[in-house]
Amino acid sequence: MTAVASATATIWNKHMRKFLMNTEELFGTMIQPILWVALFGLGMRGVMGAGGTMNTANYIGFMLPGIVALSAMGGAIGGGMTWLDERVRGILKEYLVAPVPRGSILFGNAASTVTKASIQAVVIFIVGMLLGARPSGGLFEWLLAVVLMIAYALGFSGLALSVASQTDDLMAYHAMIMLLNLPVLFLSNALYPLASMPSWMRVGAMANPTSYLVDGLRQLLLIEPGQVSDFPLWLCAVVVLAFAAAGLALAAKSISAKTARG
Amino acid sequence: MSEGSSTTGLQLKAIEVRNLTKVFAGDVRALDRLSLSVDPGTIYALLGPNGAGKTTAISIMTTLARPTDGAARIYGKDVITSGKNVRKNIGVTFQEMILDDALTGRQVLTYHGRLYRMSRNDCRSRAKELLDLVDLTVAADRKCKTYSGGMKRRLELARALMTVPKVLFLDEPTLGLDPSGRVQIWEYIQTLVKESDLTVLLTTHYLDEAYQLADKVGILDRGRLVVEGPPDRLIDELGADTIMISGYGPKEDLVKKLKTLQFVQMASAVDDGLLLGVESSSKNLAGIVSETLKCGFKIEDVFVSKPDLGMVFAKYTGHILEKGEKE
Repeated sequence: MTAVASATATIWNKHMRKFLMNTEELFGTMIQPILWVALFGLGMRGVMGAGGTMNTANYIGFMLPGIVALSAMGGAIGGGMTWLDERVRGILKEYLVAPVPRGSILFGNAASTVTKASIQAVVIFIVGMLLGARPSGGLFEWLLAVVLMIAYALGFSGLALSVASQTDDLMAYHAMIMLLNLPVLFLSNALYPLASMPSWMRVGAMANPTSYLVDGLRQLLLIEPGQVSDFPLWLCAVVVLAFAAAGLALAAKSISAKTARG
Repeated sequence: MSEGSSTTGLQLKAIEVRNLTKVFAGDVRALDRLSLSVDPGTIYALLGPNGAGKTTAISIMTTLARPTDGAARIYGKDVITSGKNVRKNIGVTFQEMILDDALTGRQVLTYHGRLYRMSRNDCRSRAKELLDLVDLTVAADRKCKTYSGGMKRRLELARALMTVPKVLFLDEPTLGLDPSGRVQIWEYIQTLVKESDLTVLLTTHYLDEAYQLADKVGILDRGRLVVEGPPDRLIDELGADTIMISGYGPKEDLVKKLKTLQFVQMASAVDDGLLLGVESSSKNLAGIVSETLKCGFKIEDVFVSKPDLGMVFAKYTGHILEKGEKE
């Protein structure tokens, strides 16, 4: 186990170092969630208020969990790209001829994805608070929220790694990911309340683990008086944790197929 | 096979390969009963054209691929059953350049060491030492995407040495380099072997590379080892001079006939002609030409030279190893 931990830490460290050395990526990663919260949040605030579905001041708070999910997704997509790139460029071979347990290739990648998503989540919350969101919650709520966010990021990271294992072509990977990306964000309760959707969309949103992360985070940190949650908190936790397990299992299967010694 | 069979004589072989066979899907036989052994502290070169099976052989010895049949051992450890142990003790460079080029040269080395669980301090000092050895100290903190091809190759060599391996595998170590870059890499390899107990197995399709570096050369053709030995001995066996005759006509009878001549040490049919080893080209050439014409062989060209590994290759495989082969 220590061998796995050590190699995982090294791969994680390498990915993070590359991330911090890459000014453009670093800048983009930080700016994107800020733009989402500021532009989309402020723009939609008026619409949502005018529609009378919710109190105008709260929309920023309402959408923060969705942007956290979106950023985790973005980070996971990047993690898939790293895996694809390491495979295509042969860096995988460097791992395979080294005494590195194969599991650490998955864990190292997933860990760096989660780290980036967590940094983004912090930025999102800071920007959200500057724009008027007022998160509440005690230590337990915050801890559970962090666990849910990490689990969701892990699940998505697994999904992206698995998709990235299906092709050696970056463009094909992006095409496949985009197909996943849009419904995962828009077919959920991230940007509008479940209650305001047509029923067919609501079914889709209820099948989407993103909805459970978003609802869980809202209940834990951003609940407003009079606001109704979509699911019980325990269900949110179960679904998000199951998503993490499923995503990682899928990735483990794909990665082990790609690292089999021919 | 018992573990004991990996020791021949008194000394444990650094590399011991027995009947290694690799058949790919579609019945492509990349390796056909390859056997070889390499003594500790020596350089062995697998020489052969592209597609001869060199990379497949290295992939199996470095645990990247599994053989269909046969076995390979590194210091007595089986590459399949003791893969982890083997991986700890080898260093590898690949045919294609494999570098995380968003990292600096120093970072490439340090992360590599960390993957092998070297301590941070060891990584730091070893990286410094190796960067110095391959003359990359000045460029050490630049991202490797700014490096030239030769610098990248040198960094890869340093990376393979980072973990102080017992056996170093180099797959076409100078592929894509200009002549001065190649000579430089040769010098590093020779220095390393001289200064440590390092064993090197390298593959190459460059004759001069095999000749310059190797204590022992194995010629690989279509997955088979056709001959092996010290390069000088293989070359000496050809005779003092070689004569290459190209043209067309009945080759087999001619070869038989020429072999009966007393001054002909070696004669064999190659692609579009004959290869002969003789005592002295200046004295024997006329006799050979007249004998050849007598047999009804139409001569297009005659080429006289000192024997080299290319002639050895032609003798044993019946093919000319193209020198200007594209990569």
